[in-house]
Amino acid sequence: MISRNTDYWLCEILGWGAYTAFTLTFAVAQAGWSAGVVARYGLFWLYSIALTHGLRRIIRQRKWLELPPLRWLPRLLGGAAVVGTIQALLVVAVDAALSGSLANATALQFVLLLWLTFIGVTFLWCVLYAAIRRYRASLEMQLSLREAELRALEAQLDPHFLFNCLNSIRGMIAENPAEAQNMVTRLANILRYNLQRDRQHTMPLAREVEVVSDYLALESARFEERLRVKIEIEPGAEEVPVPTMLLQTLVENSLKHGIQPLPGGGELLVRARIRQQLLVIEVENSGHLHGSQSDGAGVGLLNARQRLRLLYGERAGLCLAGGENGRVKASVEIPVIP
Amino acid sequence: MKALIVDDERLARQELRRLLAAHAEIDIVGEARSGEEALERIQQESPDLVFLDIQMPGLSGFDLLERLEDLPQIIFTTAYDEYALKAFEVNALDYLLKPVAPERLDAALRKVRPPAQPRMEQVFVRDGERCWIVRLQDIFLLESDGNYTRLYFGKQRPLIPRSLTALEQRLDPTAFFRAGRKHIVNLQWIEKVEEGVAGNLVATLRGGQTVEMSRRQSARLREVLEL
Repeated sequence: MISRNTDYWLCEILGWGAYTAFTLTFAVAQAGWSAGVVARYGLFWLYSIALTHGLRRIIRQRKWLELPPLRWLPRLLGGAAVVGTIQALLVVAVDAALSGSLANATALQFVLLLWLTFIGVTFLWCVLYAAIRRYRASLEMQLSLREAELRALEAQLDPHFLFNCLNSIRGMIAENPAEAQNMVTRLANILRYNLQRDRQHTMPLAREVEVVSDYLALESARFEERLRVKIEIEPGAEEVPVPTMLLQTLVENSLKHGIQPLPGGGELLVRARIRQQLLVIEVENSGHLHGSQSDGAGVGLLNARQRLRLLYGERAGLCLAGGENGRVKASVEIPVIP
Repeated sequence: MKALIVDDERLARQELRRLLAAHAEIDIVGEARSGEEALERIQQESPDLVFLDIQMPGLSGFDLLERLEDLPQIIFTTAYDEYALKAFEVNALDYLLKPVAPERLDAALRKVRPPAQPRMEQVFVRDGERCWIVRLQDIFLLESDGNYTRLYFGKQRPLIPRSLTALEQRLDPTAFFRAGRKHIVNLQWIEKVEEGVAGNLVATLRGGQTVEMSRRQSARLREVLEL
């Protein structure tokens, strides 16, 4: 808001300043410098700003610009006419006050010309103001659309995971109370992270890894010996901002479609490193890439891809590949400097 | 009563075991970690009741049911699939949401039929995305459609990928009667039998369907009905 107001005042001051300076050069060329000329034009500059600022307040209070164009155009023209008239009257009044008589430079023809010019210039002010406001509104609209799109694509906690996890904790309470307490704390961390209302679109990788570690620790309690996890984050990669819950989506997918269907379980490997100004995150698991991954996993990965596109354009990418020796690898590349 | 617990998570199986400890009448004869294991256990132990998780590696709960010739009583246990269950219209005995509340388990167990009563034969039927657990006695007509068979029960008419002849072998011949090339009728559902124009018998079922018997089967039906 502050920066936007600064923009407005700059436009007011510089706009009327430029117009005043432009007309001042003619006056000086005709009559030379004098205190009277500087006072007249200086005053004109100030009250023009004050008058159009008043007009802006009316435009905003009465929400003229939200009306259809055929209804706001005549209103702006009327406003410009009123402001232009006051400007012309003030010019005559200041002139009279400074020179002591009305007769001096204020020939009727000249005043008439001045009056029309002022109306024209103020109307131009109005048109510029309306154009800038409209442009800004459309920019804001685009931003909020992008915002909504991003929010919609951001992954939510899988309810399946939540309830299965609660069930495991219930079982663990009898078997190993200390471990059950650990599990509750981890689940609390995950829930807190997920429920943050003013969540940012990106988070440092280290924070994402923390949450994913809690998630994997809980899943390990469920899968037991069927899940073996390894996390390798290269120094330097921790601080890079990454889309929130992106790593989580990849890990969830890899568990759900890679390891869970394997009766004997498998290994899950999370790796992050920096290569040529790109953060490379890889999630690798035992298993095979098969047709069924085009449905369930498809949605998660499709959303992740769209988020990357919205946040980084063409500079980020995601690919899923079935590697050699029965492993599946999802890799994401994100620019280190966003 | 013999019960089997099917769940891929050890903690989940153990938790259910602990909850069932309060029910002396339930005798847990085994556990299975996957659909495949469950199939084996069911064939070995022929439990009266199965607690069945839906999401499992390999064979899912539904895949398992599809492979069983004769279904035990089923209680689904699931973390978040109740919508799936409703969408599938699987009228199992009951379903339990994990974590399971003890009172909820009590309520589910009250619906279980004691093994002393004659077993009600039921089958699992899947047609595309929809599935049902249906008691054989509720199926009033089976109609051949090429290599497929259309089942008639309630308002449902699912088409299943088995031939009428293959199904006939599995049905109790005293309850189900082969009417001809195309039909098998449930004798319990026949409301009246009349003689058609060609001398063949025409059976009208409760619900209004009429089924014409072949000449040979007309004679047999007369015998059966006279008995």
